[in-house]
Amino acid sequence: MMKKIFILILTVAIVTGCKKNLLDTSPYSSVPAANMWTNDNLTDLGVTGVYQALRLGENSGSDSGLELYMLDRFGFTGQTRNLESMLSGTITTGNGIYSSIWQNLYEGVQRSNDAIKNIPLKSPSDPAKKARYVAECKFLRAYFYLRLNQLWKGVPIYLEPFTADQAIKARSSETDVWNQVVADLTDAINEPSLPSIYAAGANNYGHVTKGAAYALRGKAYMYMQKWDLAAADFAMVKSAGYALFANYTTLFKAANEQCSEMIFSIQNVAVAGGGTTGYGSTTQWFCGTRSSFGSCWNDYLVSPNLVDLYQNLDGSAFNWDSVLPGYSGLTPAQREVFFLRNNLTDKEIAAATARGAQMSLYLPTGNEARILQAYTNRDPRLAANVITPYATYNGVFGSINATVTARWPYRGEAALGGDLRTDTQSYFYYLYRKFVYEGNAEIVNRSYGPTDFPLIRYADVLLMWAEALNEQDLTADAVAKVNEVRARAGVALLNSSTATMVAGQADLRERIRNERRVEFPNEGINYFDELRWKSWKDKVFYTGNGVKQVWGANVYTYSFQGDYIYTWPIPLVETQRNPNLKQNAGWTN
Amino acid sequence: MDKIYSYSGQGKGIVKRCFKSSLATLMILILFICSAYAQTRKITGIVKDGKGETLPGVSVKLKGTANGTVTDAKCTYMISVPDNNATLVFSYIGFVTQEKATGSASVVDIVLAEQSTSLNDVVVVGYGTQKKVNLIGSVATISAKDIENRPVTNVSSALTGLSAGVSVMQSSGKPGADGATIRIRGLGTLNNNNALVVIDGIQGTLDAVNPDDIESISILKDAAAASIYGSLAANGVILVTTKKGSKNKTTVTYTGIASKTNPTNMPSFVSDYVRHMQLVNEGYQNLGQTPVYTAATIAQWQKADADPNGLNTIGVPNYIAYPNTNWAKTIFQNNILQDHNLSISGGNETTQFLLSAGYTGNPGTMQNTGSDKYQFRVNLQTKPTKFLTVGTQTFASLQTFGLANTSNAFNYLWQTTPGVYPYYNGKYGFPSAPEESSTANNIASYLTTTGGSDQESRINTTFFANIDLYKGLTLETKFNYQTRFEENNSYPIPFEKWDFSTNTLKQAATAPSQLSTYYDFNKNYLITLDAVLRYNTTIAKDHTIGALVGYDQYDYKYYYFDATKLGLIDPSISTLNSATTPTAATGDAYNYALRSFFGRLNYDYKSRYLLEAVFRYDGSSKFAPANRWGFFPAFAAGWRISEEPFMQNVNEYIGNLKLRASWGQTGNNVLNSNAALGNYDYLATYNPTAYSYNGAAVTGLVQTKFANQNLKWETTTTSNIGLDGTLFKGKMNFEIDAYRKYTTGILFTPTIPLTVGTATAATQNVAEVSNKGIEVTLGYRGQAGGLSYSVSGNFAYNFNRVEKYKGTLQEGYTTDASGNRVYSSNIGQVSSGGTTRVIQGHAINEYYLYPVYKGNGTYNNADGTVNKNGGPKDGMIRTPQDMAWLQSMMNAGYQFQPANGISKTKIYYGDLIYGDSNGDGIYGNSYDAQLTNKSSTPKYNAGLQFNVSYKGFDCFMIWAGSFGMYYYWNDRGYNNSIVQLGYAVNNLVANDHYYYNDANPSDPANNINGHYPRLKNTSDAQNNLASNFYLYNASYVKLKNVQLGYTLPKSLTQKWSLSKIRIYVAAENLFTITKYPGLDPEIGASAGYPTMRQYSVGLNAAF
Repeated sequence: MMKKIFILILTVAIVTGCKKNLLDTSPYSSVPAANMWTNDNLTDLGVTGVYQALRLGENSGSDSGLELYMLDRFGFTGQTRNLESMLSGTITTGNGIYSSIWQNLYEGVQRSNDAIKNIPLKSPSDPAKKARYVAECKFLRAYFYLRLNQLWKGVPIYLEPFTADQAIKARSSETDVWNQVVADLTDAINEPSLPSIYAAGANNYGHVTKGAAYALRGKAYMYMQKWDLAAADFAMVKSAGYALFANYTTLFKAANEQCSEMIFSIQNVAVAGGGTTGYGSTTQWFCGTRSSFGSCWNDYLVSPNLVDLYQNLDGSAFNWDSVLPGYSGLTPAQREVFFLRNNLTDKEIAAATARGAQMSLYLPTGNEARILQAYTNRDPRLAANVITPYATYNGVFGSINATVTARWPYRGEAALGGDLRTDTQSYFYYLYRKFVYEGNAEIVNRSYGPTDFPLIRYADVLLMWAEALNEQDLTADAVAKVNEVRARAGVALLNSSTATMVAGQADLRERIRNERRVEFPNEGINYFDELRWKSWKDKVFYTGNGVKQVWGANVYTYSFQGDYIYTWPIPLVETQRNPNLKQNAGWTN
Repeated sequence: MDKIYSYSGQGKGIVKRCFKSSLATLMILILFICSAYAQTRKITGIVKDGKGETLPGVSVKLKGTANGTVTDAKCTYMISVPDNNATLVFSYIGFVTQEKATGSASVVDIVLAEQSTSLNDVVVVGYGTQKKVNLIGSVATISAKDIENRPVTNVSSALTGLSAGVSVMQSSGKPGADGATIRIRGLGTLNNNNALVVIDGIQGTLDAVNPDDIESISILKDAAAASIYGSLAANGVILVTTKKGSKNKTTVTYTGIASKTNPTNMPSFVSDYVRHMQLVNEGYQNLGQTPVYTAATIAQWQKADADPNGLNTIGVPNYIAYPNTNWAKTIFQNNILQDHNLSISGGNETTQFLLSAGYTGNPGTMQNTGSDKYQFRVNLQTKPTKFLTVGTQTFASLQTFGLANTSNAFNYLWQTTPGVYPYYNGKYGFPSAPEESSTANNIASYLTTTGGSDQESRINTTFFANIDLYKGLTLETKFNYQTRFEENNSYPIPFEKWDFSTNTLKQAATAPSQLSTYYDFNKNYLITLDAVLRYNTTIAKDHTIGALVGYDQYDYKYYYFDATKLGLIDPSISTLNSATTPTAATGDAYNYALRSFFGRLNYDYKSRYLLEAVFRYDGSSKFAPANRWGFFPAFAAGWRISEEPFMQNVNEYIGNLKLRASWGQTGNNVLNSNAALGNYDYLATYNPTAYSYNGAAVTGLVQTKFANQNLKWETTTTSNIGLDGTLFKGKMNFEIDAYRKYTTGILFTPTIPLTVGTATAATQNVAEVSNKGIEVTLGYRGQAGGLSYSVSGNFAYNFNRVEKYKGTLQEGYTTDASGNRVYSSNIGQVSSGGTTRVIQGHAINEYYLYPVYKGNGTYNNADGTVNKNGGPKDGMIRTPQDMAWLQSMMNAGYQFQPANGISKTKIYYGDLIYGDSNGDGIYGNSYDAQLTNKSSTPKYNAGLQFNVSYKGFDCFMIWAGSFGMYYYWNDRGYNNSIVQLGYAVNNLVANDHYYYNDANPSDPANNINGHYPRLKNTSDAQNNLASNFYLYNASYVKLKNVQLGYTLPKSLTQKWSLSKIRIYVAAENLFTITKYPGLDPEIGASAGYPTMRQYSVGLNAAF
């Protein structure tokens, strides 16, 4: 019996001797909200989390269609290899692009609100640092609201962290949102501890600066058509120390991502982790080709409209007929003949004939030389931004470096002298060169490139500045700003020849717009510009426009749905979940 | 489900039988004395059972008298009868009582049928066993016999069709990932619906038990049975008991199966490249685009097809240079699966043991996907002193997995064309048509170009000690440690792709410097401590009382880490040390714990009135301390009507009649069916995110989940009423249960406004769900001559409804301030989800879809105006009349969303239009989507088993079916009409799609009655609206298993000193009857690794 009791006691001891805090578990990889912002380190990490919202929309395994540069496909300068319902006139309010971009931008708002409210309340960090962080987060909140207002023109304003139950606000007017953007940016500008600019290599490089706040507030004023205030802010950007970088082509390489032209950029490094895209950019993945490192995808393409817009080096407009007499008299299908490679096989000739190419104009040994003439002596930004026919590209074959040439029709890749291989090899498209890496050494993985993605750079400021000046009829001042950009690009200056003579405010307005179109391809700027200028319908939906091969033959044709598409619809599900949100006119829920 | 008890080990039966025979001898002596003056004639005979084995100790009585005898050790009897009108009554425990008129015969041999319900049958229940007759909870039992001799690789998939109310579906046939989903009595919650699995008293998983080691399985369905597991048991409990050694007899058993496996079904794509090209071109032409494949290429293939073995200009056979690859056939293969098990069991009075070892080699039905599994078990118990029993149940397994990337193979199976040759001369093929997409995949490369190894180990060991403290009072303690860990290394095997038609290298092999190697280690473990104090006593003969109290705690943890490095020194060397650049290193962990107190009280009076009360008090780490503890009681009562004196006369016809009723509560603290989620939901947490400053990666923190401090237990209240008994002298048994399960405070994450951001909504105790159902099990066993047979069928109906969520759906027109009629709907506020919705008053995840337009085909009203109800009958614009009607409708101001316009790129011939449910004149806008009253959960499940045996032969069959479920299935490449360069065309669509050449209405290619919409290149907004066009009835019936076996006669086996040899042939998943056009309704809506059809031969031998 004693033995039994002993065993019983032993068992009870085992059972009750087990850890008392068995049920008190806590997460291994995350920080409970109660602790957040309560020390200096967590304050740093929390602010970094707000910055990270700039990267939302980056893909998670495949092309998201949501990143800024991807939105160029809706504008004048870009196109995509697939038919976009926004361009074919069949998009509805339930489309994922509306809900995803709305949600991502509001996530940025939430994170900013959290930081702006809780840093002063909870953080024990140095007061100057706290003040700087709050100013940075106000800048970021302004940025997210600016993006929302660009597209939706009036959205609900939340300035404190909010829960699902509190997400019942109605929309504020477009003006009220701009005022809120200006208010936040003004707060940032007025914060003494926010530096004007960071030198390259500064530890805090990548954080918001006062220069950036001026630039963004200037942009907001552009939307509010407060031209004088905009111009004044742009002047402050210059005073802050921002300036053009000397070389347009190398400006978009990782080596120059901290040059003084870059006012505010999404920071990227070629490091894996933190999701599919790691810490880096995806431009090479979706704007590259099969010949690019790691076999990338040419999802996003350059519109022939943009290529044709690039002036000749002397500043005169490019004209196909002056290079290829009779070009414009041919149908787009017939024009294919000019783009064919030398020494076509019989089969290739038969196929081209079947496609409708005007084969009587084919020069079996001189065809390539002839078409190359169309791309020489052009604004150097053309070659910097676009891989044109018979241009070379430093690609990769297998895993080794290989210089490939964009030829038509495609025959094959090779280690030496091969063709550039796309994944749309039955079509011949203009391809992006900007932000597409070369060779096998610039990146380690197609999913994460190292180059920062500029959200505002000084050329953008200069051209907005020119626009603001021109709208105030300060033409000469405006021309000077445009010429700064043109001089850096290496194309003839305005007013330097007959062709470049500015004929007044309206002419300059159009020239500034074109300057922006040729300066910013693949930077996520053009679509927003066309919306702001109300030029989208004319420039993109003109009769017969569409996704085009280099010779202008449509693969898909665009169709304009109605003027209401200038304003994005409130996402369908959001109007259902918050009935206080009223749909924009014209859109059918 | 009633066989467990008779199969509780051969050894035991023999012990029982020996004991009975000596008792019988004693009784014979007594009877001889009592009926010394017996007269007239004597009858003798021998009594056997259905299998031809003789039975000693069978009571033989002369009907209407007290005279009787029993069969002796040789199983014969002798009895005196007065005349030729005598009737003998043979009765024996476990067998159906039989009467036989003697007539004038002097030898009466009898074969007794086994009784389905025997008084001594014991059922394993939570923390103990219970006599079947005294059971008042709803418990389904499955014996070893029901699952043995089947070539299944997982216990779960062997349970299909065996018990009422237990729905089993295998959603993948991939070796190593082929566990089935088990649902007991429908879906009780909106999160995790998995039943608790308890193996030998310890929580575990069905992957971690060898089917051959199983002695019995009990499935606890109602609260009375399950409440002892409290918060773990809301979805039911599956109790698995493994075999034990028997006293005084050592048995060696071998079972072996070899089966030929092939996929039950395969996707079917157009493999004739010419036809493929024409179909894709059709998709371009339908949109007014230039066809992508040129006539020259099509002609090239036509020429080659005419002479497949001819050589092209560079000497490559045409069938390789100009291929017509059937990818499904290429990647699937038939293989041989093997399964071998050897066990030794035995023991003596104090120590019993079972040792078993098993090997399963399942090569799968796709290359490089096979899995080998090795399983070992030691069950040992010993009684070192009178009051103490100690022992162990220890299981270990090692399983390897194939490295083929099957998810890629399936993802890309439709992202290729027949114009790619798989593999030739050590090289992978590349598309050879010049216009073909260069990214058309070579599926074969996904199966064979990953190197490395992947293996999973499991150890599950229990140490137990049972102490007899006092008369009837025992203490049982258990300690269990179980772990599962996976070691994985993978690296790409470089390969080249060639265009065989020109013999050119098209895609070079990746250089070692760009190859990376990946290592992963992940592990989970569970530590369980368990102590039960048990007391059983009988007071005043008639009052039996059983009581237990217990304590239980468990502690679970999972963690992983992995690392990837780029740059191998050689493709064959893949350690991390040998690679150059680290590219990723990740790791994470989570844990949870539970502490419980529980108790049970059983009382019965004369085995006639049965009462039971159960409680469990659970504390979970997943809730804040204030809400952590939950109390889950249950009560049950049973009335064994058959024991009432007034039933004595009818018991022969309606026997063992028992009425059961129970009420009880169980809980749930699993917040997400993904175990990695929902463990800390009461805390708002900030998770790491990736950003950088100044070129240096930094970590940021962002809130990823909203918190809810008030989270608490989800509670399911179940009421059950049941009746069971036997009919026709025990030949038929029946069991009927009706239940109602009501779950409150369901832990759910509702959909929230997008404006709140990307963080996951707070989990809330937000919904209530009810399940009502009926379960019926009927069994019949009989015999004719030497043939004995049995049929057992089960049927279950379950009705599921969300009783409470965020309010009722309100839709309709109101007049606004300015007098306009405005349509409004609160669907976004009261429901969660998209094409499936959680909404009050409807089944869980009911489909919410756009209805395809349904008109009457009259087009116009009598006055010539367009009739909005007169459009095409099936909603597809098929004829010029349909088109004219559509145009008139648009002219009249009606809109047809989403494309809203007539043209080749908007709505055209062969497109669907949608109904205008709310009558706002806009067809197919968001207000038109409707709840369908259909969901993917079966309403009815049924199973049917047949057993026939004759002499040494036996035959066995299992049918299983699920009915009343629907799948929304719209899968590109499978059943939708989008075609694209580089992408496959499915035969479903290829053979039955709409085509109309409006330029030539008499084009012979026109097919205006095609089912699927017209083909379109790349995208199709109009026909891809989530509509009921793609909602299919997925009901099915499957012949899961059929077996034919032969047991060699004893005389022969004994000569070889074996106790039993059975050989058999069997087929698994032989066929499916369904209207569902997809691959297999059992695996779900979309295509995935198919389940296997198997043809097996097997051998069982016991020594």
